[in-house]
Amino acid sequence: MSGTFQQDARRRGLPPRQDGLGQACRRQLRVIGALLLRELGTRFGRDNLGYLWLFLEPAILGGAIGLLHLFTQHGLPGGLNPMSFWVIGYIPFYLLRGVVNRAPVAIPSNQSLLYHRHITVLDIMISRNLLEGAATLGAMVVFLLLFGMVLGEWPVGPFKMLLGMVLMLLFSHGLALLVATGAVYTELFERMVHLVTYLTLPITGAFFMLFWLPTEAQDAALWIPTVHMFEMIRDGQFGNAVPTRYDLVYMVGWVAVLNLLGMAGLRRARRDLAL
Amino acid sequence: MIQLSNIRKAYKTQLGTREVLRGIDATFLPGEKIGILGRNGAGKTTLLRLISGVEHPNSGTIERRMSVSWPLGFAGAMHYSITGADNARFIARIYEKPIQETVEFVEEFAELGEYYRLPVRTYSSGMIMRLGFALSLAVDFECYLVDEVIAVGDTRFGERCRKALAERQARSTLLLVSHIPATVQAFCTSAAVLNDGRLTRYDDLDEAIAVYQAA
Repeated sequence: MSGTFQQDARRRGLPPRQDGLGQACRRQLRVIGALLLRELGTRFGRDNLGYLWLFLEPAILGGAIGLLHLFTQHGLPGGLNPMSFWVIGYIPFYLLRGVVNRAPVAIPSNQSLLYHRHITVLDIMISRNLLEGAATLGAMVVFLLLFGMVLGEWPVGPFKMLLGMVLMLLFSHGLALLVATGAVYTELFERMVHLVTYLTLPITGAFFMLFWLPTEAQDAALWIPTVHMFEMIRDGQFGNAVPTRYDLVYMVGWVAVLNLLGMAGLRRARRDLAL
Repeated sequence: MIQLSNIRKAYKTQLGTREVLRGIDATFLPGEKIGILGRNGAGKTTLLRLISGVEHPNSGTIERRMSVSWPLGFAGAMHYSITGADNARFIARIYEKPIQETVEFVEEFAELGEYYRLPVRTYSSGMIMRLGFALSLAVDFECYLVDEVIAVGDTRFGERCRKALAERQARSTLLLVSHIPATVQAFCTSAAVLNDGRLTRYDDLDEAIAVYQAA
């Protein structure tokens, strides 16, 4: 898309742009910025609490799940606080599920934007998922502050946690690109995605820790990329209080492959898209 | 200049693949006002979409050497759940136009009154069309792609659109698709006929209309 614009300018006799890639990136960022603002407006509107819903949504859900487990009070292995354990598992899972579940409608609900030639499908996906990421991160921060102040339980490695969240966002984003691509060709994705995210919940690693499992099961679970991410996030919260296992290279590999395939898929799908 | 070379476009339907455009070759020059005449279902809207880049051809190439608007019609280009003013802000950001000026220009041109501050989904189709046209004028394209719409709008607005386009006479190109010869006569200086997936240019407007009506 951006190529044609640059060509347009050149053929019109405008001065050739000096910094091809930089210029393209700048334009892309402007588009994504505008899309972010618009997405904010359409998703949360200007009524009642408005933008506050952005992080209230994940916060209320995360908080409710946490409280539920606090009161039903099954003790957790390793003597972890149930409230913080469930909240810290639930919020990244909310991110994964939200991004992936919303992927099939991402293109149909934003089709009218593709009337503007330099808005790409990828721009739409990036802006939607960035917003989702910012919302969940906001909710996460609020809870961490709360746990810190009320329970005196501060994250041991906040940077590890942030990195875990970012990897989760990038992983979900890559998966969402593929789901959005598939949804262009068949309704199947829209019909199945909720079911699949629901059924896979127990194996994502959101609600168990690796060290609870027998050794063979641990090795099997480590094939699942999200298990690594949840482990990393928990390592950031609990530190050495509990053992954790994860492999950064494995996670980055998944993120890279999913994103590359997803971008290639979307590029192809854009050509076949009938608006 | 816009140059189309051997453009083909087919759609998959439940009845199999239907080829809508079967090899379109055309060149549109700066300042030209061209009417494209075609019956319902001839592929007029498809052609505009391909020229604008909203959709892609199955084969063939489209070269755009000027800035080309989105196809101006009843749909597209704006978001329905935000207000007309928010749409104007969005367009200004996307196309690097001053935001406040754009908002004011669109407000004045579209004449939506208080509806300008209400979500687009509450608009009538005529209001949506006016907003779309005003937004595209605010961007100031070199080539406008118009989908029959102006003729459908109330005459006062139609007159203002004609004036706005005429003010851009020298630099801007107009491509108007319609199935009504009178519309083409009102806006264009030359015409082409889209029939059976092919486009034929005529320098003489009356000749084009005669061919179109005979077909």
